[in-house]
Amino acid sequence: MQLAPPDPSILARRDRIIADLQRLLPGAIVHEPAGLATYDSDALSAYRQRPLACALPANKDEVSTLLAYAAEQNLPVVPRGAGTSLSGGALPRPDGIVIGLARMNRILEIDLENRCAVVEPGVTNLAVTRAVEGDGFYYAPDPSSQVACTIGGNVAENSGGLHCLKYGITTNNLLGVELALPGGERVRLGGKALALGGLDLLGIVTGSEGLLGIAVEATLRLRPRPPVTRTLLVAFDTVAAAGRCVADIIGAGIIPAAMEFMDRRAADAVESYCAPGYPQHAEAILIIELDGVEGEVRDGVARVEHIAGTCGASLVRLAANEAERARIWAGRKAAFAATGKIAPDMLCMDGTIPRRALSDMLAAIAAMSARYGLAFCNVFHAGDGNLHPLILFDAMREGELARAEAFGAEILTLCVKMGGVLSGEHGIGVEKRDLMGAMFDEEDLAQQQRLKCAIDPKRLLNPDKVFPTLSACVEQGHMHVSGGRLPFANLPRF
Amino acid sequence: MSVAGGCLLPICRGSDMAVLRPSSEHELAEMVRAAAADRHTLEIIGAGTKRALGRPVRADACLDLSALRGIISYDAEELVLCAASGTPLEEIAAELAAHRQCLGFDPADWGPLFGVPARGGTIGGALAADVSGSRRLLHGAAREHLLGIRAVNGWGKAYKAGGKVVKNVTGFDISKLMCGSLGILGPLSEVTLRLLPKPEHSACLVVRGLEPEQGLHLLGRIWREPLEASALVYLPNAVLEHFDLGGSGEAGLALLRVEGSTEALNDKRMRLRALLESLRVEELAHGDQLLTAAANGSVFASAALDVWRMTVPPSTSAEVAAALVGTLWYADWAGGLFWIATSRDTLSAAAGLERICARAQGQLQLLRADEGQRRGFPARPSGGQGVIQLMRTVKSAFDPLALFNPGRMYEGL
Ligand SMILES: Cc1cc2nc3c(=O)[nH]c(=O)nc-3n(C[C@H](O)[C@H](O)[C@H](O)COP(=O)(O)OP(=O)(O)OC[C@H]3O[C@@H](n4cnc5c(N)ncnc54)[C@H](O)[C@@H]3O)c2cc1C
Repeated sequence: MQLAPPDPSILARRDRIIADLQRLLPGAIVHEPAGLATYDSDALSAYRQRPLACALPANKDEVSTLLAYAAEQNLPVVPRGAGTSLSGGALPRPDGIVIGLARMNRILEIDLENRCAVVEPGVTNLAVTRAVEGDGFYYAPDPSSQVACTIGGNVAENSGGLHCLKYGITTNNLLGVELALPGGERVRLGGKALALGGLDLLGIVTGSEGLLGIAVEATLRLRPRPPVTRTLLVAFDTVAAAGRCVADIIGAGIIPAAMEFMDRRAADAVESYCAPGYPQHAEAILIIELDGVEGEVRDGVARVEHIAGTCGASLVRLAANEAERARIWAGRKAAFAATGKIAPDMLCMDGTIPRRALSDMLAAIAAMSARYGLAFCNVFHAGDGNLHPLILFDAMREGELARAEAFGAEILTLCVKMGGVLSGEHGIGVEKRDLMGAMFDEEDLAQQQRLKCAIDPKRLLNPDKVFPTLSACVEQGHMHVSGGRLPFANLPRF
Repeated sequence: MSVAGGCLLPICRGSDMAVLRPSSEHELAEMVRAAAADRHTLEIIGAGTKRALGRPVRADACLDLSALRGIISYDAEELVLCAASGTPLEEIAAELAAHRQCLGFDPADWGPLFGVPARGGTIGGALAADVSGSRRLLHGAAREHLLGIRAVNGWGKAYKAGGKVVKNVTGFDISKLMCGSLGILGPLSEVTLRLLPKPEHSACLVVRGLEPEQGLHLLGRIWREPLEASALVYLPNAVLEHFDLGGSGEAGLALLRVEGSTEALNDKRMRLRALLESLRVEELAHGDQLLTAAANGSVFASAALDVWRMTVPPSTSAEVAAALVGTLWYADWAGGLFWIATSRDTLSAAAGLERICARAQGQLQLLRADEGQRRGFPARPSGGQGVIQLMRTVKSAFDPLALFNPGRMYEGL
């Protein structure tokens, strides 16, 4: 991974910049090494860089002030929520500042009449549900990191979660955003009404990984909590049978609220970590949740049980009560932490494939594992084909990180070959940046970069992320010279 | 490449535009490159059924995509379909129905509203105009269901964005930008859509004798219950005669639809009845047809009236209805969408409607009016100048020469 070298002229102005920032946002600038260390990396901790400084604005105006200053000084800016990105999206630059949004953590309005909440970007995902659950509502996207990750980060990564199979990912649950653009100007996109009018700017900003602007406020769709939720634990003797079960359930027209897969190594790791009561010796486990009104769930459970049976499940257990349900989920949610106990380091992949390719893919990963000499386990959102192979390694051992990365890259490239994509929910960031060419050709990437350049011509917002090339915006016109003649030769090139 | 001069296609009859009708993406890109070289602006059409919707386009040539036709792949097991952008919606719907599946955004058919035969539209047009129907309330708009695209930009280059699987965050979500774009970012050549299983059964209930405030309030209450209602419509008395509902009374009525398996439906019915307490509820056998008529705006199709759509936060609906007294209207999307018809003094009606809409922090769209009036109506998005400016910036990243559908969305956009 090659990051653009820092701009020496900025590094030379370091003291001056810090003094300016302290003047602009007194008491909100972190610049001492000890304080800055927190911001060196996000959850993709294999990559670290110390930022020049970190600013912690308390409100939108301060965000705008910072962006205006950054534009004037040509200073790269990396937005940051809680730093739980798994793709290095919040990795800072030595010649740039981090704008940390964690202090902007107020819930501004809860409007149950319109089934929405208006929040600042630093509010954690779980805090939204906590604030409305007493009234029978919740915010559906629920990344496993929901205790920590922020709504701003969710918007930037278009994050998913365990229940997005039925209820969609962030973009499907977001009604509006106030966005601070490079330079500091702010625009309100969307709102409490269903349709926006004009181009769907909200749609393009969601999932733009902090490259197009900083979300300073978000309006979120709330849902009424379904009256009944039932959870099944289903075990299989072969991974292929579990894969078939997933495809058959979807094929039968059933859309469970969640359908999660764990392979044997993951289940064993979790069992010894927090003993959720998973069956021993099963090669694959599915957690299937159905929700809705009583009859709907009863009916769904019966059909799922039947399908699981025809697929040769060795165990089908319906959680008898809320405590048992919670225990089943606690295991799944602890999967990352549990894996952390069986290996010093771990890389979490995030490709999506067509559901039917699941068992082929799992076989291919097993073969790669042997070839790279690295262990792995599989935990993933099976219902929508979103894989999270966890590659286990030890960064202290010479060459293992590089090998783990090569293993991961091969998995993702295979995802694309099978008709899938590089990232289902974690984003591209720096991690998968150089793999974009496996999925998109030059024209595809050029079109995306034109959009970036039109909105952020100086490319100050989260540089180094998402796009493999580091070319400056003037080249992004990306005109092909055909027959020695530049098309539209008389037009200004951006 | 077929360049039909002098308007050979029925759709462009009456104008003297040249018609370009590419039969492949490659040809499409070549045509756009040629147009770019000559600075010829292009009006993009699918089947042309919504040409008369909103702001009219004045362009040098008509880019007709109806020959980019056919289902490219349909994977029923994965619930994913890929089709050329000019494929008729009817063709897609028939294919899906055979597998008990459907398009999640429940596309409405606005053809008759614009004086063209029903069931004529293409998938590309349905997405570009975002004709999401009643189920939008439950399953979301076109944007929620478009997984990926192939398209041609203003440089005449074909590109793709998005993917063909249901969960994907790889790169900018350009597919979303295309939904509702009215073609101003360029022609789509191919679209990949997420599908939904067709609901096994549905029940449509009618609650009669509701004044607007009562009725809209009721829709809101049901929308906040975990019933997953797939349609919540209110029809005031004044429009009832246009619906086949029998004995129109003094007040209006609410139409509610719930869906699912037999068992699910029984429970939802029970919960609804408990919620509706003393109100009289009947079940309608032809509820789906009525809801389709509401989503298509067919009530207003034959009358010589201007037709508008206003989207508002549902909580403001009773207030909006009160302000609309004396005007023909009805509401869909739990009170979040108002269909409004006014007599043909478009601009003075516009002033009144815009005031109501601004108060509700909503969004107003002029769907149907005389061409001159549509040209004169200053459509704008909520959010003001900054938002329009950002739309211009985005447009320039796709269409720097402003070749595609000039002025179709807003003045200069
Ligand atoms: C244990 C664990 C489990 C996880 N599980 C899931 C999961 O189930 N599903 C899932 O989708 N993800 C998951 N993630 C990934 C991660 O939590 C999400 O991507 C999350 O949305 C990041 O939020 P954050 O606040 O930590 O953002 P950060 O990591 O701080 O930033 C993420 C990106 O967003 C940008 N950004 C942050 N705030 C803003 C803002 N206000 N405006 C503009 N850009 C901004 C940053 O520049 C960066 O590019 C998991 C991570 C961990 C560590």
